[in-house]
Amino acid sequence: MNVIVLLKQVPDTESIIEIADDGASIKTEDVKWVVNPYDELAVEEALQVVEKNGEGQVTVLSAGIKQAETAIRSALAMGAHEGILIEDERLERADTTATGQVLAAALKKIPHDLIIAGQRAVDGDNYLVPAIVAESLDLPILPVIIKESIADGKITCEQVIQGGTMVVEADLPAVITTQRGLNEPRYASMPKIMKAKKKKIASLSLDEIGITDDSLFSNPKIRVESLQVPQKSRAGIIVEGGTPAEKADNLLRHLREDAQVI
Amino acid sequence: MTTERDSIEFDALFVGGGVSSLAGAIRLMQMAKEKAMELEVGIIEKGSEIGSHSIMNPIALQELLPDYDSLNCPIEQTVRGDGFYYLTRKKAWRVPMVPRQMHNQGFLIISLARFARWLGEIAEEMGVNIFPGFSGQEVLYGEDGKTVTGVRTGDNGLDANGKAKSNFEAGIDILAKVTVFGEGARGNLSKSLIEKLGLSSQCLPQVYETGIKEVIQLPEENFFSHNPVNDIHTMGYPLGLNVPGGGFLYQMKDNRIAIGYLTGLCYEDPGIDPYDLFMSFKRHPFIFDIIKGGRVVEQGARTVSSGGHYTIPRLATDGAVLIGAAAGIHNTPALKGIHVGMKSGMLAAEAIAEALEKKDVSGASLERYRRLLDDSWVHPEIYEGRNFAPALAMKGMKKWIHLGAQYLSKGRGIIDPLPLDADYETLRVLNTAPTETTDNMDYDGSLMVDKLTGVYLSKTQHREDQPSHLIIKDPQLCIDTCYPTYGSPCTRFCPAKVYELETDEITGQRQLKLNPSNCLHCKTCDIKDPYQNINWVCPEGSGGPGYTTV
Ligand SMILES: Cc1cc2nc3c(=O)[nH]c(=O)nc-3n(C[C@H](O)[C@H](O)[C@H](O)COP(=O)(O)OP(=O)(O)OC[C@H]3O[C@@H](n4cnc5c(N)ncnc54)[C@H](O)[C@@H]3O)c2cc1C
Repeated sequence: MNVIVLLKQVPDTESIIEIADDGASIKTEDVKWVVNPYDELAVEEALQVVEKNGEGQVTVLSAGIKQAETAIRSALAMGAHEGILIEDERLERADTTATGQVLAAALKKIPHDLIIAGQRAVDGDNYLVPAIVAESLDLPILPVIIKESIADGKITCEQVIQGGTMVVEADLPAVITTQRGLNEPRYASMPKIMKAKKKKIASLSLDEIGITDDSLFSNPKIRVESLQVPQKSRAGIIVEGGTPAEKADNLLRHLREDAQVI
Repeated sequence: MTTERDSIEFDALFVGGGVSSLAGAIRLMQMAKEKAMELEVGIIEKGSEIGSHSIMNPIALQELLPDYDSLNCPIEQTVRGDGFYYLTRKKAWRVPMVPRQMHNQGFLIISLARFARWLGEIAEEMGVNIFPGFSGQEVLYGEDGKTVTGVRTGDNGLDANGKAKSNFEAGIDILAKVTVFGEGARGNLSKSLIEKLGLSSQCLPQVYETGIKEVIQLPEENFFSHNPVNDIHTMGYPLGLNVPGGGFLYQMKDNRIAIGYLTGLCYEDPGIDPYDLFMSFKRHPFIFDIIKGGRVVEQGARTVSSGGHYTIPRLATDGAVLIGAAAGIHNTPALKGIHVGMKSGMLAAEAIAEALEKKDVSGASLERYRRLLDDSWVHPEIYEGRNFAPALAMKGMKKWIHLGAQYLSKGRGIIDPLPLDADYETLRVLNTAPTETTDNMDYDGSLMVDKLTGVYLSKTQHREDQPSHLIIKDPQLCIDTCYPTYGSPCTRFCPAKVYELETDEITGQRQLKLNPSNCLHCKTCDIKDPYQNINWVCPEGSGGPGYTTV
């Protein structure tokens, strides 16, 4: 079983983000870079799939610049077997279409039974790349899942829908994307970190995967026009309610509707 | 329950990835190269990234990496001129003579976080294994119960009740021929090691100051744009002259400044809140004029071990050494610990390389480190300040007579050594009923921020569902004894609102509520709590402040 994890390096969600002078990108000097949290869930799930299956390997694939190697190495330290970086300066600012197509082009050369991606990268919040990859490879996609199981060449997944869950199934190979609750990502242990340090991360150029059309980058379909920092309002609210149960209901409503965190 | 633990071995393990350890590890790799030895060297750092603004005497850096400039050392500014001011409530008087220990002209202004990151990269290139996100939780001893054999790292994946979650990962035993404790001021393992082996039985108690710092972004046109002075120190308001402490302000790059306030933890008044003092300092007209129009971009807090020479413990024992601020190596009159900390790490490395070569890592063999330190420039620097902390802790004229005599006699003063009390012993009993903490300062959320916004700006984070890393030995004592006697000073001395007093809605019972996830790892509570009822241990790896520039 060859499981591929699509992984992106993103600014730590605790980093304080400042907008660069061009108004459309962020200052990166003091940003701390981490593995996109949804991709950590993907790495964990991939490891569990291989462990359950008894054989196979987990390959981590990322498209970006050299520094993304540290993110790949974090995945190797969790236990992934191999890491591949498609490396090109132009990928730093690539739009979702370009990124999706680049990953798909590489995947055409890498054997895969299952592709697991984070539901979205917490920096751009586009939710698009996994779908573009699936489309380009003509694979089914089961997005935002909280559970999966594999049997007889099929993958069965649970998705959360308004007020309940839905069970969906597809033939492998397929693309799935992760939701919080799918698993608790494991910690990297020190011996595994030592081992991961010594592993070689394969590097692929765009040429090598057959991407020669520069217009993908020079003439992107989507351009970031400007970025704004949200108005800081850190004032708290006191949740009203006559009984504890009512308070809890109101709190849930605030979290869901106002804060939109659950 | 016994847990299966992995173990891993190193020749030398540095606990804590601060500047002292990093300089030590680099020096050790240099020595290994000179001696053609193969050494496995590791550093564990509890923070998730190796890493406040400081003025650094470059002497140790010049010795360690003479070509630091071409290696792109991140230097913010060079000190152009010092300003030393005495503040009254409304006015500032420039002290015409800056004490000789505080001449900083030509020294480097650095961001300690950036500088440490840079040293970390150099160390890694030389082959040092750095493990960010791993905390030392326990010192491991050999069968004799006194030879240090390494440290055990903290467990990951425990829930708030201490039960293992599905991703539980037991801490591992890191075994090392020599373990180097470079945990900074009041290191939790250093504390237990010093206690267990009696390493400071011949010493005066260590004393501390709590510093709260900020980085402020100023408008393009600001005080420093045309000022020969870019390094300001103050004494006086708001703390007054009885308690040690004072303010500082340095220029950084890109119209940013570092500003901070230190409060000596030997204070007596349980009502003191170091954070409020810092806010009052910022509101002083002289200071406010410099920072107006600015915005706080980062905040942090940390204690400094300021006791000096007579408080430094024995530095070597079987299988282990103590370096830097963890050992109280600090030049108190100059307010500087970086260069002496780095040098202590470097000299420890020299002694370790020789001990490993001779295959003798006993305390007697590692003791050579202390001799090297005593023969280096560190000793006269620290020795001159040997009676400074006790004199500073005095009140009224006495203080100035002692300080004056010390200034003229290169530190000896009138009594040598002067006695010193531990910080937890100095609080006086509240003579009024305890007041609930008042938070009535006006904060604008931008230049003046409250404690919780400060916590946010420190980028501190801890996984919520984990056991508390602040251990209250006897919670009842907090309510029954401490509250009526001192009015729960923890609710004030903590700069991050970790401690709150709550009254149960139904029973009307008071209780202490902890918010460990706010913690900035400054360790003030562990030091100042009058009953020594609070024990600070490392939280799960990677937790803690995420300073990038302070
Ligand atoms: C407000 C303030 C202002 C200062 N200004 C100056 C100045 O201008 N100039 C100057 O020279 N000095 C200054 N100092 C002093 C200086 O910061 C210290 O002397 C210096 O940082 C000491 O270096 P260190 O490596 O010994 O310890 P630290 O820098 O404290 O590093 C210790 C490291 O160990 C880690 N650690 C601790 N315990 C564990 C554990 N159990 N497991 C794993 N990791 C652990 C910590 O996370 C930390 O990264 C100032 C200090 C303060 C608080």
